[in-house]
Amino acid sequence: MSEIDDMIIKTEESDTQKGKYMTFKSGHEYFGLGIEYVQQIIQYQTITMVPDTEDYIKGLINLRGRIIPVVDVSLRFRQEPCEYNDKTCILVINVKSATVGLVVEQIAEVVEIKDDNILPPPSIGKGDRGHNKYVYGIGRVGNTVKLLLDPEKLLYDEEPVDGEQGRMNEEE
Amino acid sequence: MAEDFNTDSMLDMYLFENGQLLEQLQETVLEQKDADGFDEDSINEIFRTMHTIKGSSGIMMFDNITAVSHKLEDVFFYLRESHPEHVPHVELVEHVLEVEDFISSEMEKIRNGETPDGDATNLIKNLDRFLDMIKSGGTADSVPEPVHEEPKHFYIAPMASSASRFYKIFVHFFPGTEMSNVHAYKIVYALKEIAEDILYSPEDILSDEKSGDIILRDGFRILLQAQCTETDVRELIGVGYDIEKVDVFECDADQFLLGFDFGDDQPLKVIDLESSVEEIEAREEVKGEEGKPKEAEKPKIVPGDFVIQSKEPGKQKKLAKDKPKVEKASFISVNVAKMDQLMDLIGELVISESVVLQSSDLKVPGLNLDNFNKAAAQLASISTDLQNVIMSMRMVPLTNTFQKMNRIVFDVSRKLGKDIEFVVVGESTEVDKNIIEHISDPLMHLVRNAVDHGIETNEERKESGKFEKGRVTLSARTEAGKVWISVEDNGKGLDREKIIAKARKQGLLEDNKPDSAYTDKEVYQFITLPGFSTNEQITEYSGRGVGMDVVVQNIQTIGGALEIESVPGMGSTMTLKIPLTLAIIDGIVMETGASSFVMETGVIKQFTRVKQDMMINEPNGDEYVMIREECYPVIRLGKWYGLTDYQESVEDGVMLILELEDRKVCLLVDRLVGEQEIVVKPIPSYIKKVKGLSGCTQLGDGSIALILDAPGLVE
Repeated sequence: MSEIDDMIIKTEESDTQKGKYMTFKSGHEYFGLGIEYVQQIIQYQTITMVPDTEDYIKGLINLRGRIIPVVDVSLRFRQEPCEYNDKTCILVINVKSATVGLVVEQIAEVVEIKDDNILPPPSIGKGDRGHNKYVYGIGRVGNTVKLLLDPEKLLYDEEPVDGEQGRMNEEE
Repeated sequence: MAEDFNTDSMLDMYLFENGQLLEQLQETVLEQKDADGFDEDSINEIFRTMHTIKGSSGIMMFDNITAVSHKLEDVFFYLRESHPEHVPHVELVEHVLEVEDFISSEMEKIRNGETPDGDATNLIKNLDRFLDMIKSGGTADSVPEPVHEEPKHFYIAPMASSASRFYKIFVHFFPGTEMSNVHAYKIVYALKEIAEDILYSPEDILSDEKSGDIILRDGFRILLQAQCTETDVRELIGVGYDIEKVDVFECDADQFLLGFDFGDDQPLKVIDLESSVEEIEAREEVKGEEGKPKEAEKPKIVPGDFVIQSKEPGKQKKLAKDKPKVEKASFISVNVAKMDQLMDLIGELVISESVVLQSSDLKVPGLNLDNFNKAAAQLASISTDLQNVIMSMRMVPLTNTFQKMNRIVFDVSRKLGKDIEFVVVGESTEVDKNIIEHISDPLMHLVRNAVDHGIETNEERKESGKFEKGRVTLSARTEAGKVWISVEDNGKGLDREKIIAKARKQGLLEDNKPDSAYTDKEVYQFITLPGFSTNEQITEYSGRGVGMDVVVQNIQTIGGALEIESVPGMGSTMTLKIPLTLAIIDGIVMETGASSFVMETGVIKQFTRVKQDMMINEPNGDEYVMIREECYPVIRLGKWYGLTDYQESVEDGVMLILELEDRKVCLLVDRLVGEQEIVVKPIPSYIKKVKGLSGCTQLGDGSIALILDAPGLVE
């Protein structure tokens, strides 16, 4: 794990970062996030809970003097909450001048996906609106697919309206 | 982050520089608002300021700002060049302030990313009218005559030294010499090499072509301070084909400082006796001619006296010019973000220091730590110093904020026709920069209220037998770790009856409670409620019932309070009590469940343990506790925030009695950890505001504690 700890990705070199994605596993799927957003990966550390917030906001961590909020990705995707173990990592990302930590079940690897290997997300059935919302494309890597995430939507979109109510709103 | 600061750096620079210029301008103008006219330095300064703003706004293509500043520049150009005698000073001050307001508001638009689209036509028209007025009113002086430009002193490199000698030099050119001003400039240029201080007349020899004629007629005059002999001076000037005669007189420092106005009767150490008499005669002749038309109106005025009468022309002015230079050299402006970063880093340093010094590795028995402990003490004292220094760097005096109030009193009292004296006390009191930003608006409200409602009109004052001038006193002092800022007026005071009547009408009083049962303090608090104004007449400045509630709100957000005192007929005093700094607070650290919280020490009145039988439970779930015959509402912190694993039983926890203004509540927490200084950090904006939390902080072990905000909890 200590290598991961030291793996600080410099965000300046944008051309070498183009088409590269940090992939991680959450639930049964693999997700990808443009590497230019990723600031660093740190090991899981104790999170200070902040009361009265959305359930996917786990709380605050102390990142070398900076206090940053942490979001649990699996809760954000309304997946089964994952158990935190020694594979759990915090992915620190910068989006629109905000720095936010993402708790992910397991970090995979950095992959390169060419633009022509990225397909628009298929419209999944009406019921499953949950994570479709944050996914802007599907990247093919060999035989596997990675769901590519839009970090802004991931952080800032309101919770998807679920169940009955969501469908009713849709029909109006 | 760095990129954020660099974008539009030109615009930032423009806003920053011009903002400072405008602030300075306002200061200058208000300083002299009660005088009979601006002194020459101020006229020059205002002229230069407008010129700079015009130039930079032109580059940035803010046409309306350019146009307005250009117009004001014109006015001051005329003042500077022609010294008109009849300038309505108060009107001029108002014009300058109007322009300043206009530019400030346009700059505010630019700062907010809007286009500066304010309409300046009226302003320009007014300025035009004003300029025409002073032009026609200036009678004899209406035509700019270059001869009058004489009393300008240009100082170059004012380094005094005891070995310096002082010379007065007169250079006469042959009549008919072409471009004598250029020749004169050559001489000045040559002398600059040796000069410690040099001034010459006429002064704008390069830009003003007419100066050539003056030089031909009157000769070119130079005052020189240098460490050299007369011969050196003569050598430098040289004997050109165009120079008829060079006279050099040595004089002493006092004469030198008097400038060219060394009176005709002043004893000079004359080296070249003959020509000096000639020169003096020539000067007298010129003076006589100029003086005559003016003497007809105002007998005692001689050219050069239009400038400040209060200031002695030579010495004083020089001092005034030296001073700002010294100040400029010792200040730099620093981006606040960098200061915050430094502050953060020092906070971290202190934390990591405690981590190192309390490391469990040191707790091995039998270890000799003498040297380590010595070094550790040294380190601790340095880091404490460091913390104090950064804190003091963030402290700024209230001077600027108070200065702005001066402006408001001036504006409002003039519009309302009240004769008001404004006194400022203790403006050098220092407050954290963040706090200053928050108190400016509330103070403005209070000062405006004092002038508008507090002080009676001149007639009312006479009727009630008050002969002293209306006075508003703004004072600041530090007391008990807080800054007290009071706005005091000697006006009519608050009308208790009126407030009670209004409160009753609005249903704020309990029906069966008589008026007399309310204390003055309670009654006065009503005026801080939204929509509460007893002023029947709505004026331009106040009376809409908006204001005091905003003041109180703003002050509460920075953890301050407003206190109102009033004596009918004698005036009222509004006192703001605000904390010195927001960045570091004294706090009590406590725990509930698995979470740590911090509460500011000031609001905690006492800690106590309570027994179950002291609790009172209401059927609706509200809880109260009786402590020493007093009943307090209870907040269980664990329950309030829906935490887990907290102490259910009151007997296992600790009760904190919080006191806020007049409200008291009990807060139940699991256990207390200790008291310490807390570096306050904001909760990241990604997390929406949580009621009762005002920030977070890092504890000694690196973990995070949430800072409880007592007013939020009490609500």
